[in-house]
Amino acid sequence: MENEYKKRNLITIFTKGDIFSKLSYVVCGLANIRHGQRIKGILFLAAEVLYILFMVMRGGGLLRNLMTLGDQVQGMNLNEELGIYEMTPGDNSMLILLSGVVAIVITIAFIGVWGFSIFSGEKARYNATRGKHVNSFVEDVISLASGNVHFSLLAIPVVGLTIFTVTPLIYMILMAFTNYDQDHQPPGNLFDWVGLKNFFTLLSAGDRLSSTFWPVLGWTLIWGFAATFTCYFGGMIVAMIINSKGIKLKKLWRTLFVVVMAVPGFISLRVVATMLGERGIINVLLQQWGFTDHALPFLTNVTWARFSVIAVNFWIGVPVTMLMVSGILMNIPEELYESARLDGAGPITMFRKITFPYMWFVTTPYLIANLISNFNNFNTIYFLTGGEPHTLDYFKGAGKTDLLVTWLYKLTKDSNDYNLAATIGIIIFVISAVFTLISFSRSGAIKNEEGFQ
Amino acid sequence: MKKTVLGLNLDYFIRAMIFSLIAMVSVFLPYTSAEGHTYSLLNAATTIAGTTEKSGLFVVVILSFVLSVVTGVVSLLAFKWTSVGIVRIWTILVAVQTAAYTILMFSTKIIMETSGIYSDFLNSHLGIGYWAGIISSFIALAFCMKMAGINRGYIILVIMGVIWVFPILWILLTALRAEQGYYVGYFFPHKLTLKNFTDLFSKQSVLPFGKWWVNTMVVALFSCVINTMIILGTSFTLSRTRFSGRKAFMNILMIIGMFPGFMSLIAVYNILKGLGMNQSLVALIVVSAAGAAMAYHISKGFFDTIPKAVDEAALIDGASRLQIFFRIILPLSKSIIVYTVLGNFLAAWSDYIFPSMLFGDKQSSYTVAVGLYWLTDFRRIDTYYTQFAAGAVVVAIPIVVLFVWLQRFYVEGLSGAVKG
Repeated sequence: MENEYKKRNLITIFTKGDIFSKLSYVVCGLANIRHGQRIKGILFLAAEVLYILFMVMRGGGLLRNLMTLGDQVQGMNLNEELGIYEMTPGDNSMLILLSGVVAIVITIAFIGVWGFSIFSGEKARYNATRGKHVNSFVEDVISLASGNVHFSLLAIPVVGLTIFTVTPLIYMILMAFTNYDQDHQPPGNLFDWVGLKNFFTLLSAGDRLSSTFWPVLGWTLIWGFAATFTCYFGGMIVAMIINSKGIKLKKLWRTLFVVVMAVPGFISLRVVATMLGERGIINVLLQQWGFTDHALPFLTNVTWARFSVIAVNFWIGVPVTMLMVSGILMNIPEELYESARLDGAGPITMFRKITFPYMWFVTTPYLIANLISNFNNFNTIYFLTGGEPHTLDYFKGAGKTDLLVTWLYKLTKDSNDYNLAATIGIIIFVISAVFTLISFSRSGAIKNEEGFQ
Repeated sequence: MKKTVLGLNLDYFIRAMIFSLIAMVSVFLPYTSAEGHTYSLLNAATTIAGTTEKSGLFVVVILSFVLSVVTGVVSLLAFKWTSVGIVRIWTILVAVQTAAYTILMFSTKIIMETSGIYSDFLNSHLGIGYWAGIISSFIALAFCMKMAGINRGYIILVIMGVIWVFPILWILLTALRAEQGYYVGYFFPHKLTLKNFTDLFSKQSVLPFGKWWVNTMVVALFSCVINTMIILGTSFTLSRTRFSGRKAFMNILMIIGMFPGFMSLIAVYNILKGLGMNQSLVALIVVSAAGAAMAYHISKGFFDTIPKAVDEAALIDGASRLQIFFRIILPLSKSIIVYTVLGNFLAAWSDYIFPSMLFGDKQSSYTVAVGLYWLTDFRRIDTYYTQFAAGAVVVAIPIVVLFVWLQRFYVEGLSGAVKG
């Protein structure tokens, strides 16, 4: 019987249930009320009434507007955004889109409540008809501390994520399918749905935009791999040296590197950026020391700038890897090294045959996560070069060290081409997703979370 | 020769000696050659000694020359009377010699030009003798250390240490520099002062730095407490309880996380405006708390390593899940709590994009990150560079101290509750 209950889904609950169960598909909470969970049932019903009221009074209109994104360019119009009335000269496509998304999210949330109420009603019916105990409202509340603790602990994150992450995200994703660019700025102008046009202009060859996009994507990938692997190996080597026998004051050495890591990124990056400038201290010293007789274009020449950002990222990233790797290195069983030493293996062989395979196995997920975060390493690029040096080959704003993310930021902040920014965001998502899938297929550690026990 | 001395690995003796001798010979080879004159290290030392105006760094030339000769001799002596003591002395001498040669690379131009030997010297004018000297010094040092059983990692650590500390040192010195301005032609300030710091906090200052600092502190304290509670609560639930929709929830979080975060900042800004919270510090705290749950991975991984049997025993004893969380799991998780608090505290100090977008030109609400970035704009950098440096130091010092003090927890937090 227990098994039969578990197999219930929305259809079988309807076909097997009594009249109250069937009615509760339309009137939420009816089954709960019938089987003794009065307060719970009334709460479900209240949620439904509130939702219907919202849709009738506001939501329906919002969703309808979403189809057109507004058609009135000029004139006084009453406009609404999350319950606040604002007078705007004409339809504001952006607010229409945003409030439409809010209506969609509210609808999805209601569907969730609806489904939950049906399962809850079914459980009440099942228990009641079999003469089992039906939880009272107080018991349900108490269960929030134990059996249902996930409701209480996840409530705030879910609400927070819905309002400040999911809603904005849906909004931005939809924006990729509009023409909300410089020439279609609300409230003066309307923008409209354009389908996949943005993707085609960005990806197809020949267009000026795509001749910016592909090189920027290429540099993003090169940067991601270079930044990740230089720091990974650099950090590993430093950690191995510090952890090796015969190094005294291990803590002091480690602290020396940790200091660099602890300085907030925007500070160390801005400082280094000023040091690398044409009149910055590094150029001054290099000339004083006789290494060069003219200032080196660390951040102004394309090739130099690209090497500089990788080098500076190395400076910042090595301590991070070093600290992380230290813990893992200490976990490698000492016996492995001892038996290797007895067999006459040198330090390089031991690294190749023991340390590295072990590290590689343990850190693959970390490495891929790191790779993805380097593709999106906004801070290093933005604070160091701001994407410069600029070039005339690229679409407005983009520079030769710009990653996709920094270009995205510039498109939203400087030139207000939101549609392009959103499109790039989706492309970044696709890239991240591909690498995450690779990481999933490669690593048992993520899939098998119970594995440790 | 087939000698054995306890405590020495004599396999490397011959090689160490050969390179010490090469370094000795190279003092007679061309050290510099430019503008038609060629000097060996010996020649250079004697010539400079004869000039009236000498740079203080002249000592380094003498040192390199004398030590190269001495180590060569010592290596021969060590060949005759091999002992731990003489090899120790030899190693120390080679180490100083290597350091002196390295310093020469950075000071030859200054030494030569102050003495008037060359008027326009470049390091590409360094001769074969110099390069042979420095390279063989390094190699000899490596072999000596190997022979004496000293870890050669020190060589790399020292070089890397200098490079890693260099920018930090620079910003400290700039913060203490009395001479204002971005461009100065020297590394060490001519005059030290604390005025940059006092200016930053003085009432007359045009920069409300004190306000920025307080703003950031408030945001950082609130968000590290709130975020930590949210993150720990989320990861506890996802790690210790099983409920339908759990996998789906984790997958949704992962998918959300793959979008670049600030892509949607514009929308967040509009939502905040709709809620009437724009341009306020509360908005910063709320938004960072709202997204905190996304960072559940590390602490979930940590909780996963605490054996499930602990929970089961407590459940049998009648504890509720919340009691397990507060009474059992949290006390076992000191390091991950510290890790999370620290990470969130740091993140609040470094967050730039969102505050900069949120506050626009409302300077009084800036956080330090926005404010300091604003100071390094090319229009202001010349006026405010030393104050920027002072600000950077003021911001960085508490964090660095906190971080260095708590780094143990940071490493432990990453590696799990149960040691393998």
